[in-house]
Amino acid sequence: MDTQTFWKILLFVHFVLAVGLLAAVTMQAVGVLMPARQAVGGLARRLNPMPLAPFATVVVLLYVPQALMGAWVYVKYRTYVRIPMEGFRHWWTVGSFEFKEHVVTMGLALLPAYWYFWQQPQAETHATARKWLTIFIAFTVWYAFAVGHVANDFRGVGS
Amino acid sequence: MTQALDANVAVADLVSPRAAAAPAEIAGKETSKFGTFAIAFGIAFAILYTLFERQNWPLLTYHPAVGRLDFLRNMGVPEDGPPMFWYGWIVLAGAAAAVLGYVATLLPRQVLYRLATFSCVLAALWPICYYLAGIIDQYASFNAEFLRSTWIVGIPAWVGALAVTSLVSSRWAERAMIGWLFLMPIGGLVILGYSLNDYFTR
Repeated sequence: MDTQTFWKILLFVHFVLAVGLLAAVTMQAVGVLMPARQAVGGLARRLNPMPLAPFATVVVLLYVPQALMGAWVYVKYRTYVRIPMEGFRHWWTVGSFEFKEHVVTMGLALLPAYWYFWQQPQAETHATARKWLTIFIAFTVWYAFAVGHVANDFRGVGS
Repeated sequence: MTQALDANVAVADLVSPRAAAAPAEIAGKETSKFGTFAIAFGIAFAILYTLFERQNWPLLTYHPAVGRLDFLRNMGVPEDGPPMFWYGWIVLAGAAAAVLGYVATLLPRQVLYRLATFSCVLAALWPICYYLAGIIDQYASFNAEFLRSTWIVGIPAWVGALAVTSLVSSRWAERAMIGWLFLMPIGGLVILGYSLNDYFTR
């Protein structure tokens, strides 16, 4: 297998993990933002809300390897993608990607607290902390996905 | 029928042993060591990562073009290609935050809350003072270049942080702890984002 193919496979795995993470964190973020009870046909019907706590473990288990994978792919980005990107004066993309490093790092730093607060999903005292941590983590994942996608379009899989 | 069943479920939820035990579990969780570690780690990491990035203090430098890893900051020669510091900032901030998180689990609660308040207010005031000093230097009729010193602007930040820490109530300091967990990463991202301004204004 040549080097280019190896990096493209790695980037593809990074993408697949990102999609899984995006799905899990979005489901949980929507769950904390939307009420569990909804009025249906004039009757207050209790809809069985999806249990959100298990998503926290899934998100942590995907976020950490995804960040590690990103850190690995980043080596290739720095030499193979960013230098020509600067040459073509794509400053917005370069700046957005630089910011992505920081966004993902901050998300990584909050993962222990995020996981901890989801261990007691019934505890009302931490409902606000749980909600905003989930939204923050979801923001980091969405931002990283969007910016990574733009960088991939510049020079990556299928570009 | 559905409503009746739902009512039964709701009542059962209220009287179940799990629900009855919930308040005790919450209080127990609040004092758990891992919770304290996780919160302190999140706060400390956000502050330290921002500081290390801004001061460019990495523990390691990686040169991807030649595959070489150096200890601390090492720009290398131009033939080595671009150096990468990001790994070094993360490792250093992670290790330091883990130590601080562990220390936090050993401290008495009230001391921890006061220390967290002091650290976070200092972390917020220092860049604000630095920014204001820059404005003063820009518009002052006298030579205020000395205000550009990171250490000079640190003096009002320290005074302010000490004042706030001594003035706030214990209850406020306790309640603010989780608030810092959100404010510090967001504040860090504001500073780090602002530092990238050059890319977006070219």
